[in-house]
Amino acid sequence: MTEKKFGDYIINVDNICKTFPNGVKALCNFSTNIRRAEVVVVIGPSGSGKSTFLRCLNGLEEIDSGSIIFDGIPLDDDKNNRLKIRREMGMVFQSFNLFPHMTVLENVTLAQQLVRKSSASVAKSVSMELLEKVGIEDKVASYPAQLSGGQQQRVAIARALALKPKVMLFDEATSALDPEMIGEVLDVMKTLANEGMTMICVTHELGFAREVSDWVIFMDEGRIIEGGTAEHFFSDPKEERTKGFLNQIL
Amino acid sequence: MRKKRFLTLTDLLVGSFLLLVCLFFVYRVKVGLNYNWAWDSIPQFIFRFDKENNEWVSGILMTGFYTTIRLSFWGIILATVFGVISGIAKTSSILFLRWLATTYVETMRNLPPLVIIFIAYFFVGDQLLAPLGIDDWAETFSPASQNILAIVFAKPGYLTSFFAALMTLAIFEGAYITEIVRAGIESIDKGQWEASHALGLTWYQQMRHIILPQTFQRIMPPMAGQFISLIKDSSIVSVISIQELCFQGIELMTSTLHTIEIWTVVTLMYLALTLPCSLLVERLETRLNLSLR
Ligand SMILES: Nc1ncnc2c1ncn2[C@@H]1O[C@H](COP(=O)(O)OP(=O)(O)O)[C@@H](O)[C@H]1O
Ligand SMILES: [Mg+2]
Repeated sequence: MTEKKFGDYIINVDNICKTFPNGVKALCNFSTNIRRAEVVVVIGPSGSGKSTFLRCLNGLEEIDSGSIIFDGIPLDDDKNNRLKIRREMGMVFQSFNLFPHMTVLENVTLAQQLVRKSSASVAKSVSMELLEKVGIEDKVASYPAQLSGGQQQRVAIARALALKPKVMLFDEATSALDPEMIGEVLDVMKTLANEGMTMICVTHELGFAREVSDWVIFMDEGRIIEGGTAEHFFSDPKEERTKGFLNQIL
Repeated sequence: MRKKRFLTLTDLLVGSFLLLVCLFFVYRVKVGLNYNWAWDSIPQFIFRFDKENNEWVSGILMTGFYTTIRLSFWGIILATVFGVISGIAKTSSILFLRWLATTYVETMRNLPPLVIIFIAYFFVGDQLLAPLGIDDWAETFSPASQNILAIVFAKPGYLTSFFAALMTLAIFEGAYITEIVRAGIESIDKGQWEASHALGLTWYQQMRHIILPQTFQRIMPPMAGQFISLIKDSSIVSVISIQELCFQGIELMTSTLHTIEIWTVVTLMYLALTLPCSLLVERLETRLNLSLR
């Protein structure tokens, strides 16, 4: 892999805790920093808090304590700050969550027009470009229900990219897909990574992690157990729990 | 499962039984009932020829039918507005709004409609609308605009009571629509909220572009069912002397005693309004099923 040039830190997560109303401690004293253009892969057993971490980053969940600073903006009680941060982060979900009552094209143009106030024609040309990039250009007039899972997820990625986000969050983007469709989505993600997009990916695709990630985080019970470059992480994990988990899924 | 389209033995048996019941009913009416049939006096209550002005005019039942249509039409619109607003309030994160909408719905659902009609009518009519002086104001209109007003709402002199009855009906039915809308909003997948949140949409934009369009698609059948109820329930405002179809029927019945003929016509007139709605519901439901496949 060619050496990438990383910028300054774009996300600072300092000592955050998240306890759900039912008493589940999803995140405890969780800290990490993410640099521009870095691709971070988060792995860990189910229920370890991976999704909660991503959801706290873009304000889908509120943190109890600690701080998150995104590109100089603190994610605090200020509604405007929260809105600003959400608009700079794209998120891709396990279950696609496309808007079923809108065509593929409308799915991608909507936020540009509502959030960025782009004109219809500008929004459309940006969308077409993105849909071409993810290989859906011939399906723009279809409704999500008419697409395969892999196609839907690629539209969802285009939709998230439409606001030109500074960071992309992927929460098990390929977990709901049939095996033969995983590759097409991972390819899009790899392209993004190579273009220098800052990405945080929760995934079980270790091949993807090895190939494109700059940093791998292993989480368990709401904590970071171990982090390292893909090389070190997979060949020489330090912690027993990491070894156990890797043995399990390899 | 596909529905069978041909008759089975059971269908024939049930059918002939129903036919027998009908025949017996007709026989009882013919033989047992001592009743003065006067079908020929009925048409004048629908349309009659006014000799003085040399033109056809609507009879008593027909004018009642018009009033029922006016009440139903505006009632459906207003009740939908009330129901959508308070349905959204019920799903709000603001406790006070939820509490307000719940109070509204529970009050309406736990009181007999007649009680609501009397309370709301006297409160809305006497306290809110009467001081506005709508009727006096309408009297000052040109005859042409008074005519339009009479077609769309009611004649000057009847406006206050018409609006009071309309509001009462809409408030009452709006409570049921509230529950339909609430259930519809809550049935939308959580992922829709999350995806639109992640795109940076505001709450209003989420509602307007993502949640409500899907909700409306989904609640169309129960809404149409509620509209049918509203058309039928519009008859309760006859107790406050709104001259809609049922009120006119009662008036005619007491003055002519042609009970069966009059209520047959009234029945047909209600069916003329509700049956198309029912058919529409059926169409919508099949379309919805098709689009979900
Ligand atoms: N909305 C919620 N309410 C209550 N508990 C939750 C909620 N979301 C997640 N949890 C709990 O928090 C823990 C972490 O969940 P999650 O972040 O989804 O894990 P992962 O994505 O790693 O599988 C789990 O124990 C889960 O049951
Ligand atoms: Mg998860």
